[in-house]
Amino acid sequence: MTRLPLARLLSLATRQLLRDARAGELRVLFFALLVAVSASTAIGYFSSRLNDGMLLRASEFLGADLLLSGSSPATAQQIGSGEQLGLDHARLVEFSSVIAGDAGIQLVSVKAADSAYPLRGQLRSAATPYAAEQPGPGPRPGEAWAEVRLFAALELQVGDSIEIGSKTLRLSRVLTYLPDEAGDFYSLTPHVLMHLDDLPATGVVQPGSRVRYRELWRGPPEALAAYRQAVGPSLAANQRFEGARDSNRQIGSALGRAERYLNLASLAAVLLAGVAVALSAARFATRRFDASALLRCLGLSRRQALSLFGLQLAILGGGASLAGALLGWLGQYALFFLLRGLLPAEIPPGDLGPALAGIATGLVALAGFALPPLAALGRVPPLRVLRRDLLPLPASSWLVYGAALLALGVIMWRLSLDLQLTFALLGGGLLAALLLGGLLLFGLRGLRRLLARAGLPWRLGLGQLLRHPLAAAGQSLAFGLILLAMGLIALLRGELLDTWQQQLPEQAPNHFALNILPAEKDAFAASLAHLSAHPAPLYPVVPGRLVMINGEPVRQLVSKETQGERAIRRDLSLTWAADLPKDNQLSAGSWWTPARAGELPGVSVESELAESLQLKLGDRLSFSVGGLNREARVSSLRDVDWNNFQPNFYMIFEPGTLQDLPVTYLTSFYLPAQQERQLVELSRAFPAVTLLPVEALLAQLRSILAQVTLAIEYVLLFVLAAGLAVLFAGLQATLDERIRQGALLRALGAERSLLLRARRTEFALLGAASGLLAAIGCELISFLLYRFAFELSWQPHPWLLALPLIGALLIGGAGILGTRRALNVSPLTVLREG
Amino acid sequence: MSSSILIARNLSKVVPSAEGELTILHDLCLELSPGDSLAIVGSSGSGKSTLLGLLAGLDLPSGGGVSLAGHDLAGLDEDQRARVRAEHVGFVFQSFQLLDSLNALENVMLPLELEGRSDARERAGALLERVGLGLRLSHYPRQLSGGEQQRVAIARAFVAEPDVLFADEPTGNLDSHTGERISDLLFELNRERGATLVLVTHDERLAHRCQRLIRLEGGHLVDHVEP
Repeated sequence: MTRLPLARLLSLATRQLLRDARAGELRVLFFALLVAVSASTAIGYFSSRLNDGMLLRASEFLGADLLLSGSSPATAQQIGSGEQLGLDHARLVEFSSVIAGDAGIQLVSVKAADSAYPLRGQLRSAATPYAAEQPGPGPRPGEAWAEVRLFAALELQVGDSIEIGSKTLRLSRVLTYLPDEAGDFYSLTPHVLMHLDDLPATGVVQPGSRVRYRELWRGPPEALAAYRQAVGPSLAANQRFEGARDSNRQIGSALGRAERYLNLASLAAVLLAGVAVALSAARFATRRFDASALLRCLGLSRRQALSLFGLQLAILGGGASLAGALLGWLGQYALFFLLRGLLPAEIPPGDLGPALAGIATGLVALAGFALPPLAALGRVPPLRVLRRDLLPLPASSWLVYGAALLALGVIMWRLSLDLQLTFALLGGGLLAALLLGGLLLFGLRGLRRLLARAGLPWRLGLGQLLRHPLAAAGQSLAFGLILLAMGLIALLRGELLDTWQQQLPEQAPNHFALNILPAEKDAFAASLAHLSAHPAPLYPVVPGRLVMINGEPVRQLVSKETQGERAIRRDLSLTWAADLPKDNQLSAGSWWTPARAGELPGVSVESELAESLQLKLGDRLSFSVGGLNREARVSSLRDVDWNNFQPNFYMIFEPGTLQDLPVTYLTSFYLPAQQERQLVELSRAFPAVTLLPVEALLAQLRSILAQVTLAIEYVLLFVLAAGLAVLFAGLQATLDERIRQGALLRALGAERSLLLRARRTEFALLGAASGLLAAIGCELISFLLYRFAFELSWQPHPWLLALPLIGALLIGGAGILGTRRALNVSPLTVLREG
Repeated sequence: MSSSILIARNLSKVVPSAEGELTILHDLCLELSPGDSLAIVGSSGSGKSTLLGLLAGLDLPSGGGVSLAGHDLAGLDEDQRARVRAEHVGFVFQSFQLLDSLNALENVMLPLELEGRSDARERAGALLERVGLGLRLSHYPRQLSGGEQQRVAIARAFVAEPDVLFADEPTGNLDSHTGERISDLLFELNRERGATLVLVTHDERLAHRCQRLIRLEGGHLVDHVEP
């Protein structure tokens, strides 16, 4: 039998596989892979579709899926390539203008939009000021809509005419909601919306005039990505892309965390899969030592023997992965069906990606975890047919663990596309495994001495663990990993939700008030105190632009598409404060120290902006404020919580620096929805003040968080189910030995209760040890994750100490259940074996 | 009460198979007094091990009954039969059947501990000494040779002073020299302790060391020799 054609080998492998499958032998491995692949496919689908759904909501705040904006119009080629890709397109041109009326003049932000605008979300308007708003298409050519504050400021009526540049437009409705302005708290001027067709006639757009061009795009993600890629290289210095994800800090960070969490849950499922596959593949290999020896004896080469068993595994793996992917795909439909009342109606169907990723996950896990035990089959000495005690030479442990780690790493990276997260998990897991494995080994060895005088159930139960401390440590680590994965998912779920809840308390400010004049400041504060229980303080605001850093023009210093670039492109709201605002933390420097004569006044800079602009303490900053130049030196850097719906500032000056400049005030406050009427009164009493409701944004955020919470809870269930299934698969791996032991003890006269006590002792102890490992590992990994992946502050979690108890109960219970065959086995088995 | 320690009456065993019911044992009767030794011989598949299993209460017959040390096994459930085995029965198996997780001493202590005896350690140690393994008490089965493992198994079988010792091919896995020494030990201890020995074997020489011999063929008793 020197040459065996592949077809023959394949048919032999298939036949053996079918025979073994009928005998129930390979079911464990099949089941482990099925669970793994279906869990990761279902989670993959669920999170990717949910994410798409959430992105869809987030894109409302952009009015589009993708935005190409610039201070010069997009080229025909840039537009053409989007249209070629089949993307929907809308165009918006923004500029500032002054509108004169009988009551005075007012600076306004004008949006000239074509009829397709907006591509996501809806415009809302009202027939008269303070009337009920209605959704619908924007103004027709010849018409304009304006916000109520413009009507108030210029004492206008619906039907009046206004002039924008040289074009006269009729004010046909009151603009109440622009989807792409909902998150912009700092827009200081009222908005006017007009039709794009009227723009040339205004004569406003001249070379050199400050105009913002926005090309809005809508379409499938692949087409959008292709568009970004195609147009990216041709972008002019003043142009940039904006996607739903980067359009809004709050939503961006909520989405980012949710995504990371869901990825983490998939990773946990994969980790569990790996453990299950490793356990059952080891059993697969051990049970084929005899067959391998026999085949070798009959003349099969080592390579052929390996191919034969490898093919069996490959067929099994392929089948299980396909079935798992199908099951996972159906599973996520069931999940969406269950959650149909709570999720957005429009959820994109999802593509083949998660299914393919699930299948790949199964196959890579099989390769990484099953190949090392399989390799042992090739090394079974043929002499084993005569001497059954001959075992194959063990593989190099580097090979065994290296292959598994590599497989895990590849899968994790593929799932998260995040090296940091992968390394945190893999590194933390490895470190925890080594450390805890060593500890456990040490503990088990110590236990042996203690156990010499212990009762029979203890010695029977623990004998197995102590006889093979390395195997016991491995088993405990495997169970520990399951508990760790489940513990970590539960822990992060709680932590993420808490963090979000804290950021968005029930009474988070839902209105911003801008442009409060110094003369009205006290009266406004008094009125506000009536309306709202806890308004934020009134912050002075002076609009100003950062122009130079250490004497060098700032435009030369910053690169495109950075936060710094965005910050210097427009006026910043500059403020001063004697005390460090709540939710701000100094990260460098110190809060105000008395300035010495001749020294520049201090300014405290938000730390992310400082990083983007590469600012250091002591740098000299020049601002252009109302045509004047002001200088300050960076005296401190601040971490700002941008998610708190409070007025936040990039630049806070030392008191006394800006007081001489024209100043307005800014605050935020909470008003219950039913008090809208009072808002109207407030607006009428202070017509110059801009009241900006952010309730829509808040509601949107809350609904996203509610979805994420639900997703997280269901995903946790998936991981739990996968963990339990894997646990049973693991127990199956030791079943042969237990059945033999059970039968022998029964033959020698042991009662069932003794066996039960022994098992209970063994599994409870194993579970407790695993739980302890899991608790320590959980803390270690959570520390790394919080620090490096989620940027949350880490605190110890005492409740993790319950894990040993949970482990003892869970693994104790599952252990008894999973090995009950060994308890009920007929003692006659020992004779048959003999 | 009968003076017999082990009685089988019209024992039969039928198992389901693909071709219908298969009778492994037909209507078999035998009776052993304390101290007797009986060899059961026959070709493979003749029903030897099935008979041993039924006599020891490891399995229940389809027809007939077994009385072991005065207990009618048919009327007992598995745990009650286990108790009877713990009190009255010892086993020696072809493949030794030691628990890998226990060392030699602990393996021998096992039957005494199952009976709840407090002197298990001392008695097991003494018996291991007697079978020549006094220096191997803390060795695990894997660290012992086949012959040594069978000595441990024999010590385990005798340590609780059983009324009946069942041995299933006790020398089947050993070379002839070691097998010889193991069978010497088995019969020596049996004599010393006055147990009834029921031995299943292929080895005619070993079989003929017993007082009585029965031969099975296709589940039928074909020969009964009482020297």
